[in-house]
Amino acid sequence: MSLLNRPEIILCLFLTLSAAEPWPENATLYQPLKEDQILLADCASSLAVQAYLRMCGLPVQVVCRANAEYMSPSGKIPFIHVGNQVVSELGPIVQFTKAKGHSLSDGLDDVQRAEMKAYMELVNNMLLTAELYIQWCDDATAAEITRPRYSSPYPWPLSNILAYQKQWEVRRKMNAIGWGGKTLEQVYEDVSQCCQALSQRLGTQPYFFNKQPTELDALVFGHLFTIVTTRLTSTELAERIKSYSNLLSFCRRIEQTYFEDKKDVSRS
Amino acid sequence: MAAPDELFCWEGDWGLPSVSTDCLVVLAYAQFAGAPLKLQKISNPWRSPSGSLPALWTNQKETLSRPSDIIIHLRKQKYNADYDLSAKEGADSLAFISLMEEKLIPALIYTFWIEPKNYVDATRRWYAEHMPFPLNFFLPGRMQRQQLEKLRLLRGDESLEAGEELEKELYRDAAECMNLLSQRLGSQKFFFGDSPSSLDAYVFGHLAPILKSKLPNGKLQQHLKSLDNLNNFCANILLLYFPRDGRESSNQKPPSQPEGGDFDHVPNKRRKQFLSALVALGAMLSYAFLTGMVSIQHVQHEALEEPPDLQTIGSHEEEGDG
Repeated sequence: MSLLNRPEIILCLFLTLSAAEPWPENATLYQPLKEDQILLADCASSLAVQAYLRMCGLPVQVVCRANAEYMSPSGKIPFIHVGNQVVSELGPIVQFTKAKGHSLSDGLDDVQRAEMKAYMELVNNMLLTAELYIQWCDDATAAEITRPRYSSPYPWPLSNILAYQKQWEVRRKMNAIGWGGKTLEQVYEDVSQCCQALSQRLGTQPYFFNKQPTELDALVFGHLFTIVTTRLTSTELAERIKSYSNLLSFCRRIEQTYFEDKKDVSRS
Repeated sequence: MAAPDELFCWEGDWGLPSVSTDCLVVLAYAQFAGAPLKLQKISNPWRSPSGSLPALWTNQKETLSRPSDIIIHLRKQKYNADYDLSAKEGADSLAFISLMEEKLIPALIYTFWIEPKNYVDATRRWYAEHMPFPLNFFLPGRMQRQQLEKLRLLRGDESLEAGEELEKELYRDAAECMNLLSQRLGSQKFFFGDSPSSLDAYVFGHLAPILKSKLPNGKLQQHLKSLDNLNNFCANILLLYFPRDGRESSNQKPPSQPEGGDFDHVPNKRRKQFLSALVALGAMLSYAFLTGMVSIQHVQHEALEEPPDLQTIGSHEEEGDG
């Protein structure tokens, strides 16, 4: 029987060949509309991916689309379009670039790699969840900022339907992970706890694993920088982060090193 | 002196102090911190003050159900297993607990509650055998639906069902998580040296059920057994902090299968046989009534005085023939 009759062999060959291809100049990153639509959590995730690709020295063009969420194969934002492949979220994008020979964590030993992945999950588990909670579960923020921005590209009544549907989905998820019963103060406390842990891990080093940035640095930068530079109904979330001077210096360092064109990264 | 807080948790089996991950986390932490809890091991969640397990009934007449909330409460009572940790170790602890929540818990839910063979032959069977009648008929099914719903929400996929693709993905994440924990533990006795902390409680609570349970599909178990240091870690905690449960496990006879098979080992066998017979009898009688094999006639006395109108009956029969 010919090997090429077996689909898994063909898939492996395809992935090997596509991995061997160099990074194209026209790679594109898709995200929602920056001025009117994008929300805190999506903006943070998008910035994390941009920071990671810049740290790898891989060029990418950022394209804003109102229907980015529906263009994504997983429904998650951001996603990149490279050649004939579409990959969404930081984790899979890191795997994808690694297959193409671009990795930031090759210099780490086993214990450091374990720690890096654990801290990345800490950020996803606490900061990302806190961002989603504040967006959709805090009534003031949801009414004043989240629902109007999320529904801005759509006509009435579709705008209302989609916004409330999304809010209902997020609230159900919050209940499932045990965040449904939390107060806003408890969420701020969790963010402080997370920042305390990140601050302790960073210490006085320029990056989390000393001299060279890793995907953890990109992820932390994406979330912290976005929280600090985004205007919400309350400044409490940003204030919690600003109390950790080494984390602020860390954000400034990455901004200056990898985002010379400041307007690419700063938001009102 | 105030009475100790009361902890309600699932009873144990397979040589574990409890079969529930969350209960194991709380029990292990309480042991590590030396918290004097009044322990109630039960197999009926409705007997718990919160209606779920674990549940901590405090002196202030407050009920806590989430392991993290119970641990925070114990810390406030000055029972702190993380007392000796440095700030960096505390940060690492938080990070690795997050790693387990993101990577290991979905696979645990899948293994015990979604994977069809494991659920039917092990999980549902265990709960059905240990829960009191009539809860054992519907609670395991309800628990499974809750776990499936939780997994769907965690994965962000409303139509998620058991399948090879999902299993492969979840088990890959779980195996990676176990490898990372193994690398972090190294050759140490506990994650941060010679005394256990909250991270050790979380890791033990999540890994011990995988290691000790008797599942038909044991892919996760096989992978965990290949990581010697994590095996020794779990065995060590059982030996040091739960010696009675460990002994019960080693004293258990291997399950020899007599001619009667599994049914001979069913608890409350007589009661179940009686109920089965009753249900069968009810079903047969219902069938007999519905098909008209047996009928109940209300006969009035006046009707008996007059003979039946044979002419009428005959004419009906003719109509039927025609």
